[in-house]
Amino acid sequence: MKNPLFGAFKAPNTGAHMLGPVQKIDFPMYRYAPGEVVDFCIVGVGAAGGVLLQRLARAGFRVMGIEAGPFWDTERDWVSDEAGSSKLYWNELRITGGDDPIALGANNSGRGVGGGSVHWAGFAPRFHPSDFRVYSEDGVGVDWPMAYEDLKPYYELLEREIPVSGPAYYPWGDPHGYIYGPHPMGGVGDVLIKGCTKLGIRVCAGGPVAILEGSHGDRQHCIYRGFCIQGCKVGAKQSTLISHVPDAIRHGAEIRDNCMVSRINMGKNGRVTGVTYFDADGNEREQKAKVVIVCGYAIETPRLLLNSACPGFENGLANSSGTLGKYLMVQIGNVVLGRFEEPIRMYKAPPAHALTEEFYETDPKRDFARGFAIQTVGPLPIAFAKQMMVAKGAWGWGMRRVMMDYNHWAALGVLGEILPWEDNRVELAHETDRYGLRVARITFRLHDNDKKVAKFGVAKTTEIMYAAGAQEVVEEPRYAHLVGGARMGKDARTSVTDSFGRTHDIPNLFVCDGSLLPTQGSANPGLTIQALAARTADYLISEGENVLAGRPGTVTRPPVRQHLSPAGVSGKGVPRIK
Amino acid sequence: MALKTLAHDEKVALQHIREGRFQRSLALITAFSSLLSGLEVTYEHYVGSYSQQIMYTPVFLSLVLCIAGMWAVFNRWAARVLLPIVSLITILDGVVGFIMHIRGIQRKPGGWRIPVFNIVMGPPVLAPLLFATSGFFGVITTFLRREDDLPQAARAQVRSTSARRPLWMDVLPRAITRDISAVEQDIREGRFQRVMGVATAISAFFSGFESLYSHYKNNFTYRIEWVPILLTPAVMIAGIGSVWSRALARTLLPLTSALALFSGAIGFFYHVRGVLRRPGGAKLPLYNILYGPPIFAPLLFAATGFLGLLASLLRRAK
Amino acid sequence: MKLVKKNGRGLQDQMGTEQQGDDKRLPVDAQTGQPLAPRAQPGYYQGFQTLSQQAFWDEATRRVVLARVEHVPPVRFFSAEEARLMQAVCDRLLPQDDRDAAHKIPVVNYIDDRLYNRRIDGYRFEDMPEDHEAHRFGLQAIEAIAHHLFHRPFVQLEPREQDQALQTIHDGNPPAGAEIWQKMPVARFWMLLMQDVLEAYYAHPYAWDEVGFGGPAYPRGYMRLEGGKPEPWEVEEQRYEWKAPPTSLSDEYRPLGGPGGHKQQPPGQEGTH
Repeated sequence: MKNPLFGAFKAPNTGAHMLGPVQKIDFPMYRYAPGEVVDFCIVGVGAAGGVLLQRLARAGFRVMGIEAGPFWDTERDWVSDEAGSSKLYWNELRITGGDDPIALGANNSGRGVGGGSVHWAGFAPRFHPSDFRVYSEDGVGVDWPMAYEDLKPYYELLEREIPVSGPAYYPWGDPHGYIYGPHPMGGVGDVLIKGCTKLGIRVCAGGPVAILEGSHGDRQHCIYRGFCIQGCKVGAKQSTLISHVPDAIRHGAEIRDNCMVSRINMGKNGRVTGVTYFDADGNEREQKAKVVIVCGYAIETPRLLLNSACPGFENGLANSSGTLGKYLMVQIGNVVLGRFEEPIRMYKAPPAHALTEEFYETDPKRDFARGFAIQTVGPLPIAFAKQMMVAKGAWGWGMRRVMMDYNHWAALGVLGEILPWEDNRVELAHETDRYGLRVARITFRLHDNDKKVAKFGVAKTTEIMYAAGAQEVVEEPRYAHLVGGARMGKDARTSVTDSFGRTHDIPNLFVCDGSLLPTQGSANPGLTIQALAARTADYLISEGENVLAGRPGTVTRPPVRQHLSPAGVSGKGVPRIK
Repeated sequence: MALKTLAHDEKVALQHIREGRFQRSLALITAFSSLLSGLEVTYEHYVGSYSQQIMYTPVFLSLVLCIAGMWAVFNRWAARVLLPIVSLITILDGVVGFIMHIRGIQRKPGGWRIPVFNIVMGPPVLAPLLFATSGFFGVITTFLRREDDLPQAARAQVRSTSARRPLWMDVLPRAITRDISAVEQDIREGRFQRVMGVATAISAFFSGFESLYSHYKNNFTYRIEWVPILLTPAVMIAGIGSVWSRALARTLLPLTSALALFSGAIGFFYHVRGVLRRPGGAKLPLYNILYGPPIFAPLLFAATGFLGLLASLLRRAK
Repeated sequence: MKLVKKNGRGLQDQMGTEQQGDDKRLPVDAQTGQPLAPRAQPGYYQGFQTLSQQAFWDEATRRVVLARVEHVPPVRFFSAEEARLMQAVCDRLLPQDDRDAAHKIPVVNYIDDRLYNRRIDGYRFEDMPEDHEAHRFGLQAIEAIAHHLFHRPFVQLEPREQDQALQTIHDGNPPAGAEIWQKMPVARFWMLLMQDVLEAYYAHPYAWDEVGFGGPAYPRGYMRLEGGKPEPWEVEEQRYEWKAPPTSLSDEYRPLGGPGGHKQQPPGQEGTH
């Protein structure tokens, strides 16, 4: 067929705000009047911000989300093209340094409604119970101010709301099942399965991923096109843009997009009064709020709090402990690439479709603490070329040659736990951005334990590659994800917030995003971030007037509210092992 | 001596079929085919994650039909009252499922504008109708006589069963009930070869189309995947041709049906082998059944063959 | 499918006939040793062009991809001389001698466009200048290396000499330009330069055709996920053995930073977890 029936596909002409081929927002969004005071102002409508916006709006609060990037119309704004998708990522300047600097760039942080959940690959495993007590159990890192059991009900809720597809029985950590079935394999998944089963390593096929295996209301089943990291135009891969934001707007939330929050304003009596932001035309405006929740992710959240320094808070807001910006973590993300005699075509199917967490926990026989996971990745041509540039030192005719061989390569990613170290940090640089705000400077280096995790992880993955039949195996060192910088903790001297994200210093200032994480395990953080947001929302709803008046908290165990999920979530999926 | 007994049994069985006295056997076949259909739809809908609650209905119904079919082997009431009700509901469920699958394909990105792609990757469009064939078996079963009914009692039975005519017949106009009675009688006497011939052709079409696009998705990696595609038109010609030609019904139909039955059995073997040859093989049993070649689908193609063979043995309505 | 470059002619068009008909730059057939003639589509997937499927793409994607092919941006950041040098450098970093004139990918134009618009990837290493400055410095350094090694400008060097010059940067031991390398580490500059060239080249549909990538895939996705099978509208791989031209040094894989290796820095997180 040269053409689809009735000619080439054209843009939809519904005039509505499309979130997929069918899903749309065709109802009006409430707009607060100038000068109106909202209950909650959420800075950054990303993974956590989107969930918070939805929960609080549904609970009846007056909520506004301010997002630096656009409120995406997926049909109009997103393209099924690697090079054309850079607008999804945070491209404003950060300075990065240290002995082992983090290279940010594409797929690191997001910009736009949905934030990082727009471009994540979609792996959605839970953290393990041991992740919450690494200090007590392994003597490294720090304990969380909560247990796995406190977060478990929120994992279950989010796994249903997203929904997460995966096997009926997921054996690692706290074993459980998934509400949507597992996905079919692509070429890389088959490589991982072959290698693991040959070596007797347990492997999980088809999940857990935040990608639909089956339709879900107006969202379509995955079409296996492999452009997850470029934004899912189908709406199969979850982002809070399509799963939570529409429900938030239906319940009266407002989102101000293309608005960059420049500072959080402190009032007298040590409470915040709202934020100042640059609107889409570049004018500075103020938004008053009773509570401010910062959801800007691991770099922009500390940056904003530091940039909001003012008399009485010279080191930045909520930084009496001096730990703001510190204990930043990325994960070991080295990619092991193998060349196979038979074609693989790793660009098909979601990059995320199989993994093993067999090496996640600390193994006393190894000489390091904690561990790693091994996951499928599916680099598209440009990303693969850059990997070959490093992995094989390819250039010139050598690069042309290996690229012509693209379809014979498979890539597996190590996801290794890097521990929280004080010297890995976000600070302010002297340079300013186009708004006149000082940009973030990140300093990072690997410590001994981290290097050992990387070394062992790469060796094990290489072994799996060869077991699957690879003829040549190379490695590209890299990092993945980014969390920490405003960590939670019980002790106000060594943390920025409590377990609900309320900053120790300022009763009506909250943080709710990846920067809260005190440790990160070897799991992709997306699901945990969204679950934490749902838990924080329950806390805020329970506190109610208390928190809006800026009084100290009284609630220690908020009830888990089951009825606040977005519409259309129930009645779908399979019964599962809890 | 044993051979003589076998030969005798075969003669009796053929006689039973000719005379429409095989209700219990067909009830068993109904139960068995609904069991297979049920297993197939259970795991295929799991692949679709039961994203809509209506997807549970064929799972539930196939179990009920299976039980009804088995019960009908032993119990006349189950065969005459329960089985037709459950079978009709099953057929209805299959039609509803067909509509749902059509709608599912339409809602995929690109919808019907990329028909080949979305038929291959969307919900299997004719599978619900294939599911309904167990219901079709069940409906036919209702009207047959039981193996142990004596031929002389046929007339008496007509009178007695008309006294216990299903209630739903009373609401229909007399003209229709008269036609139904005539058809009923034909079936009772095994005179429904034409109907079965057409049913065979339809079932072959459904099965054949499913295997066509499924094997196309696999790019006909193995040459043998062409066999069901080539057999389907042959069975269809034989089945439809049997409406007009007794000769076709006696020759081409049983021949192509036997080939279909045989190829379905071979296909089953290949599919099982395919499941075991997947990455991870028997170490990932549930996953490889979900995503390997559908193990029961060739058996449904064999069921078409069985239908055709049965049809070839029946008598024709006057 | 005839595509016309609407404005901003690719630099190769402007380069004149210096390099055309120069068999020494062509890859050779592995069996016969004969140079392989430039063709419209190198690579192992002859007979399939992703652009032939554009009716199956969504409109937003089609617009972006066709604009990339048809509206090549003019050179505005580099000076004419810088552009000539950059073209010569890119011709070694990612040679296109096996492409015919009508199908060369205007890599320099795309790089120039990014630098002119000051588009960045959201980060800068603390020991690097801004990207546009880094490129300028880098070109100066490359010129200095050419002069140091061969006493002639880079654009006048033989391909093998050009490869030698660039190889020193790849290996991390450039013999010239010390004052420039004080402003930016060699390895980081190499990665910046290579990344820009790779991004410009492999974003182009002609490059997708060369490597057998399926191209945009919405609303129509893929049906054959396993076993590396081509889709029904694509072609099977047809491999041919070829060797790089005898004048080149780059068909040999050496670790970045030379035999001793160096601490490898990851080039951004795209394409992974």
